[in-house]
Amino acid sequence: MAALCHDIGHLPFSHAAEEELFPPGWDHERMTMELIQSDEMKEIWENARPPLSSEDIVKLALGPKKAKELQFDDWETMLSEIIVGDSFGVDRMDYLLRDSYHAGVAYGRFDHHRLIDTLRILPPPLYPYGNQLDNSKEPSLGVEKGGIHSAEALLLARYFMFTQVYCHHVRRIYDIHLKDFLIDWLGETKYPTDIDAFLKLTDNEITSDLRDACLDAERPGHIHADRIINRKHFKLLYTRNPTDFKINSDAANLVKEAAVKEYGEDKVRLDGYSKKGGITDFPVLSDDGKTVLSALQESQVLAKIPSVVVNYVFVDPNIRDEALRWFNKGKAQIITPQKEEQK
Amino acid sequence: MKRSQQRVVILQLIMALKENNSWCGETHIQKAAYCLQELMKVDTDFDFILYKHGPYSFDLCDELAAMRADELLAIKLNTFPYGPSLRVANLGKEMVERFPKTICQYKDRVDFIARKIGAKGVAQLERLATALYVTSKSEHDTVDERAKRIHDLKPHVSFDNAQIAVEEIDAMKRESANIV
Repeated sequence: MAALCHDIGHLPFSHAAEEELFPPGWDHERMTMELIQSDEMKEIWENARPPLSSEDIVKLALGPKKAKELQFDDWETMLSEIIVGDSFGVDRMDYLLRDSYHAGVAYGRFDHHRLIDTLRILPPPLYPYGNQLDNSKEPSLGVEKGGIHSAEALLLARYFMFTQVYCHHVRRIYDIHLKDFLIDWLGETKYPTDIDAFLKLTDNEITSDLRDACLDAERPGHIHADRIINRKHFKLLYTRNPTDFKINSDAANLVKEAAVKEYGEDKVRLDGYSKKGGITDFPVLSDDGKTVLSALQESQVLAKIPSVVVNYVFVDPNIRDEALRWFNKGKAQIITPQKEEQK
Repeated sequence: MKRSQQRVVILQLIMALKENNSWCGETHIQKAAYCLQELMKVDTDFDFILYKHGPYSFDLCDELAAMRADELLAIKLNTFPYGPSLRVANLGKEMVERFPKTICQYKDRVDFIARKIGAKGVAQLERLATALYVTSKSEHDTVDERAKRIHDLKPHVSFDNAQIAVEEIDAMKRESANIV
């Protein structure tokens, strides 16, 4: 039930503009919680045999990261990890396979049957303390050694999907245009958090209004709808690259600020993504069935998967050629790092 | 605190932990960052909850990943069978040099934490950071009450070990009072 309910609080078009569209203090996880605890859903939980608790479902559906005010014991942590965990959460497995299928690409595929078969609850890998081992006994989700290649395939699939699909610059700019449209479309109001009103709005209503707004210059969001429907999206001015990055890791922000100063806020968009989650390490049960090892020690592949990070600066297509000339001329000055002033 | 300053403080903390013989795995950094924020009142503004091995911040976890992606930090794989460490990469060292004011502002507090917990192992850090977490929520409870709470929250931590951890945190609080 928790797995099924995990995503029910999403806005139309999923993550796009969630922060700007919801009232302060709201996000799709809070909406998910409200829906799970609604009277209508409570009736379903109470009629299940054995009856289910909405608080248990909220805990497992959201996990400790999002249900911060709830206290999790070890088993609840483990079960929520199976649904929303960074390494082996079923949410991740599902979206990679599903998005890969619908986008018509093979990058997101991996042997999820083998991976699920080899998942195990294990203590963490070892860390030394002086000449002895001082290891926590806290259990976490890991794999048998035989499943490590399936785990590698999952994490590679994620890397490829992010670099090739989710972070493709054209996809990213359309997300920004959609967000701009939705903000204008809502006007002064925010997205409804009342459950009935929330459930009334779907992708279909927004797609229909998007087309209407494109055809009518008087309607809110017309300019953004026109960019989306007629493919007049903003074009790349700047992409994060290793050479500039070595000079200044904040180069993209500085390029954006300089471009805004030169051309105005409405002609420039900044976009960035960097991989969430910590070191991709998890316990691996060795063939002797007793020793627990670090996945990064066992797998040369996992240790070498790069972090996904993108930064883009986009500009209005009408000024792109001029903006490129301007940028190439002043680039060195724009991205040179400044030292923090001493008192 | 600006994000760039927050990053500099993390880099400073990792360097100080290393100097104090820390293994510098992610758990070591998480617990040290928690102590720095909660005990030493350094305004890094990470949101900590009770999770993996005690207080844990998903924000910090994401920030460490972003700092690796930005080549400020690098993973160091260790000899079989031990877990990985994080180290400050060259770009991270260059960043630290660009923020002398921030480094100076937090040096005493970072050094205190690194000195006190740098050489501790994961299980000790888990107990100690959880003791600080419990103490911050119920400061006026007795040592035994807090130790019981730790044992309830983390059943794999014995009551006796929890008691030692609470006493150690109380001592650290007293000692740090003139630095904070």
